[in-house]
Amino acid sequence: MSKKVPQSHIRNFSIIAHIDHGKSTLADRIIQECGAVTERQMSSQVMDTMDIEKERGITIKAQSVRLDYIAKDGEHYILNLIDTPGHVDFSYEVSRSLASSEGALLIIDAAQGVEAQTIANVYIALDNDLELIPVVNKIDLPSAEPYRVLEEVEEAIGLDCTEHSLVSAKTGQGVPELIEAIVDRIPPPNGDETASTKALIYDSWFDNYLGALALVRVYEGKIEKGQKIEIMSTKEEHQVLDLMYPNPISPIKTDSINTGEIGIVVTGLKSVDGLQVGDTITDAKNPTAKSIEGFESAKPFVFAGIYPIETDKFEDLRDALNKLKLNDSSISFEPESSLALGSGFRTGFLGMLHMEVIKERLEREFNLELIATAPTVIYEVEKTNGERVTIQNPFDLPPAQNISKIYEPYIKATILTPTEFLGNIIKLLNDRRGIQVKMDYINETRVLLEYDIPMNEIVMDFYDKLKSTTKGYASFDYEPIGFREGNLVKLDIRVAGEVVDALSIIVPEEKARSRGLAFVNSLKELIPRQLFEVAIQASIGNNIIARTNVKSMGKNVTAKCYGGDITRKRKLLEKQKAGKKRMKAIGSVNVPQEAFMAVLKLE
Amino acid sequence: MLLYIHIPYCDSKCYYCSFNSYTDKFYSRENYILALIKQLEFELKRFRVKTCNIESIFIGGGTPSTITPKLYEYIFKTLEPFIMSGAEITIEANPNSATLSWLSGVYELGVNRVSFGVQSFNNRKLRALNRSHSTNQAINAVKNAKKVGFSHISLDLIYNYMNDTKEILKRDIDIAFNLPIDHISAYELTIEDGTKFSLTPEVKQEDNDLAFFIADEIKRRGFEHYEISNFGKYKSYHNRGYWQLKDYIGVGAGAVGFKKDRRYYPSINIDNYIKNPLDIREEILTKEDILTEKIFLGLRSNIGIDETILNKDIVKKADFLVEKGKLIKDGKVYKNINFFLSDEIALYLL
Ligand SMILES: Nc1nc2c(ncn2[C@@H]2O[C@H](COP(=O)(O)OP(=O)(O)O)[C@@H](O)[C@H]2O)c(=O)[nH]1
Ligand SMILES: C[S@@+](CC[C@H](N)C(=O)[O-])C[C@H]1O[C@@H](n2cnc3c(N)ncnc32)[C@H](O)[C@@H]1O
Ligand code: SF4
Ligand SMILES: [Mg+2]
Repeated sequence: MSKKVPQSHIRNFSIIAHIDHGKSTLADRIIQECGAVTERQMSSQVMDTMDIEKERGITIKAQSVRLDYIAKDGEHYILNLIDTPGHVDFSYEVSRSLASSEGALLIIDAAQGVEAQTIANVYIALDNDLELIPVVNKIDLPSAEPYRVLEEVEEAIGLDCTEHSLVSAKTGQGVPELIEAIVDRIPPPNGDETASTKALIYDSWFDNYLGALALVRVYEGKIEKGQKIEIMSTKEEHQVLDLMYPNPISPIKTDSINTGEIGIVVTGLKSVDGLQVGDTITDAKNPTAKSIEGFESAKPFVFAGIYPIETDKFEDLRDALNKLKLNDSSISFEPESSLALGSGFRTGFLGMLHMEVIKERLEREFNLELIATAPTVIYEVEKTNGERVTIQNPFDLPPAQNISKIYEPYIKATILTPTEFLGNIIKLLNDRRGIQVKMDYINETRVLLEYDIPMNEIVMDFYDKLKSTTKGYASFDYEPIGFREGNLVKLDIRVAGEVVDALSIIVPEEKARSRGLAFVNSLKELIPRQLFEVAIQASIGNNIIARTNVKSMGKNVTAKCYGGDITRKRKLLEKQKAGKKRMKAIGSVNVPQEAFMAVLKLE
Repeated sequence: MLLYIHIPYCDSKCYYCSFNSYTDKFYSRENYILALIKQLEFELKRFRVKTCNIESIFIGGGTPSTITPKLYEYIFKTLEPFIMSGAEITIEANPNSATLSWLSGVYELGVNRVSFGVQSFNNRKLRALNRSHSTNQAINAVKNAKKVGFSHISLDLIYNYMNDTKEILKRDIDIAFNLPIDHISAYELTIEDGTKFSLTPEVKQEDNDLAFFIADEIKRRGFEHYEISNFGKYKSYHNRGYWQLKDYIGVGAGAVGFKKDRRYYPSINIDNYIKNPLDIREEILTKEDILTEKIFLGLRSNIGIDETILNKDIVKKADFLVEKGKLIKDGKVYKNINFFLSDEIALYLL
């Protein structure tokens, strides 16, 4: 049980960076430098704990640690290090982590320079009035150009970089000095210790033993064990069962979390639903007057149908989604039934990565085999009768004659690219209905672009396209900027004459014909030949706008001598049968899983 | 009752072949035949074979022409009382080892049908497949078989090897039809695990046209296409037995036997087999397994599927295929009009 540390000796800071610039590595290095873990306990990247994070090298869940540090001045400081998620899908979590800090380390790769996420994160940090310390990392690299990178930061972001740190998270060079800079430059918290409890939930998760946990930053007053607290958005009251300080090895129990501190609150809740990120915790008997600003319920941004391949696994899928939801209140799901795919769930995600991660976890942790339909955004539709409806599944779009207006979500895209790819990128963005807002040369070789663009165009394989047209040298980040009217229509796909609901898409009218043609041609490649010829058509309403055929199969047999070993032949046939079972039968047509994602890859 | 006898010896290993055979165990031939006779005696009892009950015998391999007629004589002595008069007795033979005297020797024992592994009449292709015979040897072997008295002569061809063209295959067929044969088995090259070709699977081409081409060319010359790979003026009785799921005894290392709902697998390893020819693995087939087999075997050949073995569901689907012109109905039997689609149709029905 540690003794109470005065606010003047606490430093709360986040780390922000573009992916791969070394955020997690530096966090690990700082932890080590403070002596919180020994060399042996240091599995690489203490901070990334999920399997998927370790595999992909992306921080999905922000982690925090409380570190003890004896500074050069001989004083004992508490450093609360708050790692932030490294992906645009989780930018709300980033903003809440930043709201819990007084300062942030802005990490920039000494060889890469400023990237799109660097800029996006800096804006969030400045919104929260944080003290920013520019940290150029990877100075050990032969290609490191720290001063040029610092100039880029000044040019692209307008941030004064006179005071900065140069470090190598890999070798540790510059890290002790950086920690001193944190103590010197980041302001201590300065909350009213006598006021009633006011704490920000900046992360929450589910623990199998302890139930739902909230990671909080206490702004005013304190949280005590046994206290009755209130969650301000829901007015729900809970008892504080336990309190802990986060620690890289395992949490440390405490009786109170004091003003300016971060800590973990144990409430015994069965789901994180009641502990949403951004919400305020206060004292139930003596609540604070105003909750902390900026609370938003997690809003799913992209949607996809998720279906079990084996139709009898629907309930298992429901259970699995419910279990994941305990830990991630941002997933939403509703049962949905598709003529083509049977029963499944229309599931909402924060973004594309979030979707991939959830699908992967469902398959991996719950042993489910799933088909996901192509992701789409949400549309707002004003009907001719004045009604307004929200569309999560393109198939549900009302008939054209009942629609007066359709609105689609836009984002502001930030792109940083070497100048040589500028032409390619501008062409790509124009193709994707982008509207240029800004084009700045941050130096003679790199350009910063800002575009307004429909999110739907991003969902359609934008990342991969951007990567391939720029050999991976451009970086990209975005932020939602609301809905705008679009001239959109629903495109249906008919296989053997039947509309396949799971393949419907919403497209700009002027692109409908070319998309329809590309779609049927791609399906033609994906759908294997069947016993009968299969017509594949694209239609808008009752108008067929594109068509093609999958020719009937001519031959499927192994024409070899088996003699009496008929079992062997039977087993080969059974294997083929199992292969077909993995496809979805639409009428009598076997459609492979890839077909449901094909629309994303249309040329 | 049918009887299959397996001879697991070859002079060399063809690059495509995964049949159980050895190129370095010739010294064990006598012991092998002794062991085989031991198993045969056991099987005759187990299958309760009565006198004159064996309708057909097939001696296959491996390469049966690596065994002298003298050794076969021992087997035939054991078998003699059980063989039905007029039974079809086939032996496989490789053109390089099926000499005039070997052919006449087995003919004397009562073998009345010979099937030559010719594969091709193109020397380059023969070398590429690692065959140990030449075109001329193959032609002479067939002529010699006719000379010693065989009236039923078949030959095996392989197609869809990488360099195959219509011209090459047409020439093979032309040469074949100039010989005194009444049957051809034309097999599509299959890449089998463990073979040399499995390391370079691109040696097989996926040209469906060639399959149809070869079938058309053979049929055009007057042979009936009665199973995917089999054509003839004379149709092999033994093979038809397999496709009808008749009981069959299988003796030898790598042979397979079948009775009612069991399949029997003697040891594949020749040394084990010689030591213990009665060490036989048994597989029990379920009703569904047998139905599956009846369906795909029926579709692969002109045997067809008897409606009475099918459940309502399958009958409905089969009738739909009749309506769509994919099957025809002959009395109570569904018959396939395109054997090359048989797996796809079986998958549709099952
Ligand atoms: N050479 C060198 N590599 C580094 C340094 N810091 C991080 N890296 C490497 O850069 C990659 C990305 O680091 P990571 O910490 O996962 O970045 P994050 O995505 O920002 O968390 C990893 O391969 C690290 O090993 C450094 O100072 N020098
Ligand atoms: C039991 S095998 C061997 C007969 C004999 N030893 C010979 O090769 O002449 C019978 C026939 O099966 C065919 N065969 C064997 N393996 C094959 C494969 N992998 N693909 C296609 N046909 C094959 C060959 O045509 C061969 O002649
Ligand atoms: S094809 Fe015939 S000769 Fe060639 S290895 Fe196989 S069994 Fe032996
Ligand atoms: Mg990371």
